[in-house]
Amino acid sequence: MARRRVARPNEQVESPVARRGPSLGFLLALPAHLLILVTVLVPSILVVWLSLTDWQPTQGIPWYAAPIIGLWNFSDLFNDQRFVGAVLRTIVIVVVSVLAELGLGLALALLFLDDWPWRKFAVAVIVLPMMIVPVDAANAFFMLFNERGPINQIIGLVVGHQYTFGWLADPDWALLPILLAEIWQWTPLMFLLLLTAFLSAPRNQWRAALSLGASPMRAFLRVLLPLTLPVILVAAIIRGIETFKIFDVIYILTRGGPGTATETISMFMYNGAFVYFRIGYIAAAALLVLVVVGTFCLALVRSLGRQA
Amino acid sequence: MRRTAGRFAVVIAMALALLPVFWLISTSFKPYDEWASAPPHWLPHHPTLQNYRIVFAPEAARSFATATAGTLDYKVSESAWRAFANSAIISTIATAISVAVGTLAAYGMLRFPKKHDSFALQLLSVRMFPPIAVVVPLVILFSALKLTDTHLGLILAYAAFTLPFSTWMIRSFIEEVPTELEGVARIYGMSQFGAFVHIVLPLIRGGLLATALFVFILNWSEFLLALTLTSGGIVTVTLQVANYVSASSGKLYGVQAAMGTISTIPVIVFGYLIQRHMVRGLTFGAVKR
Repeated sequence: MARRRVARPNEQVESPVARRGPSLGFLLALPAHLLILVTVLVPSILVVWLSLTDWQPTQGIPWYAAPIIGLWNFSDLFNDQRFVGAVLRTIVIVVVSVLAELGLGLALALLFLDDWPWRKFAVAVIVLPMMIVPVDAANAFFMLFNERGPINQIIGLVVGHQYTFGWLADPDWALLPILLAEIWQWTPLMFLLLLTAFLSAPRNQWRAALSLGASPMRAFLRVLLPLTLPVILVAAIIRGIETFKIFDVIYILTRGGPGTATETISMFMYNGAFVYFRIGYIAAAALLVLVVVGTFCLALVRSLGRQA
Repeated sequence: MRRTAGRFAVVIAMALALLPVFWLISTSFKPYDEWASAPPHWLPHHPTLQNYRIVFAPEAARSFATATAGTLDYKVSESAWRAFANSAIISTIATAISVAVGTLAAYGMLRFPKKHDSFALQLLSVRMFPPIAVVVPLVILFSALKLTDTHLGLILAYAAFTLPFSTWMIRSFIEEVPTELEGVARIYGMSQFGAFVHIVLPLIRGGLLATALFVFILNWSEFLLALTLTSGGIVTVTLQVANYVSASSGKLYGVQAAMGTISTIPVIVFGYLIQRHMVRGLTFGAVKR
């Protein structure tokens, strides 16, 4: 080890722990950098090239020999009703399911603020959905919303006559089972998050508000909610980002159909690349998504960083 | 009165949480003619293990196919053991790589912070992009590197796509270790890396295990990468579930349910083991207990 110098005046003295040696810090992060380089960065560069071509594997030429067609893919994308529809649909799914998860999770968490004998058991049962493999959960919903499935049976009992409706085959309603599956699976996470936040928030202010005569509703809105707002925001953002990528459920339930009624961005790109083999065109869509999501995330991290 | 209403709402929520899982398990024990009977049977009238036999024994699948479906026209005619073996191998190795690489990166990020370090952000963005956007070029890259349809290919992809989770989750555990402990070790002459190995690692053992189980769950449940980076040679558990579809009779509900029930058991067990850390994992360590 090198001999330690005596610090000159005005020189920042290094603590023995937070030392800024470049070598070890570099070495520690190297494997992570390599892994991301191979699986994310190189493909991201590749996608730029592909997006400028109209390469399709069925053309019989390798991808690097495909002629450059410039930015035509992008102008096609903006005029493609299917793509625009998929984008709008994805945004609807994100907004609806995150709001529903937040609302339901909040309502549930508020029911768990006091203690009762089978409370722990109830929590364990309610968090079960987020422990299920998404593909299996989707299959369960496929069976539930089957034409002769239990959901139609229950509706039949309510309306008083036999009810058959093909939820997943109807363009107007096929999105509903997908949304319900998503909400069913991830409301438990919101619930657990909010419950944790509420229970770890300082109780004194809440109690003081109550004993000073505030109604529980008012005490919640004015004391508990502001205290836990950061956690709620983080949870909503993270769920929003995850829901934006929605794929497994839709692949199992409808594959984007009937027609394009349930096609989201991920499903659009999957169908385009792996069903129609329009690699160049889908690469352009991928690049667009990468840039938009990247910019959004950067802005998000900046603004969160400023608040923190 | 208010309390009773609250408890009632909790019971309703529990019932809703259980319904799909109940239906999955119930269907897995139903014989062929009860899979989609009208009206649906909530509990199998003639419970059978046939679906499980079809999943695991190719002979049972063949005799079922000739007896009921006419021909063996669905894609999966071999035992699901291979899918389980593949998923176990791929998920375990990918988890080990992800956690090991993530631990090093997390420690580096915390103890050697750079002024304009974007790596933490880069890692997060890996998780924010829809994976399908990267998968399209990744398929081309993998076929050039001869990694398509191999264990190694899926392992690399799984390790990379779970790296953000493991790095950030382990980072949140390391943050809880006081730096003074390493300071003392350094004063007694230990190197920085030595202090990391001998002081920090033992202290975050529990966190490492929780992270590993969490990442394993993610890998085991992964579907999109398995679907796109293989072409029949490597079948994972989730692919096997999706493959029980027959051209003539559509989805094989019972068989799918049986496969689904078994394949989700490890996830449920691990999930409840790390229930305390689930929130931390799914929020990238942002929300701790």
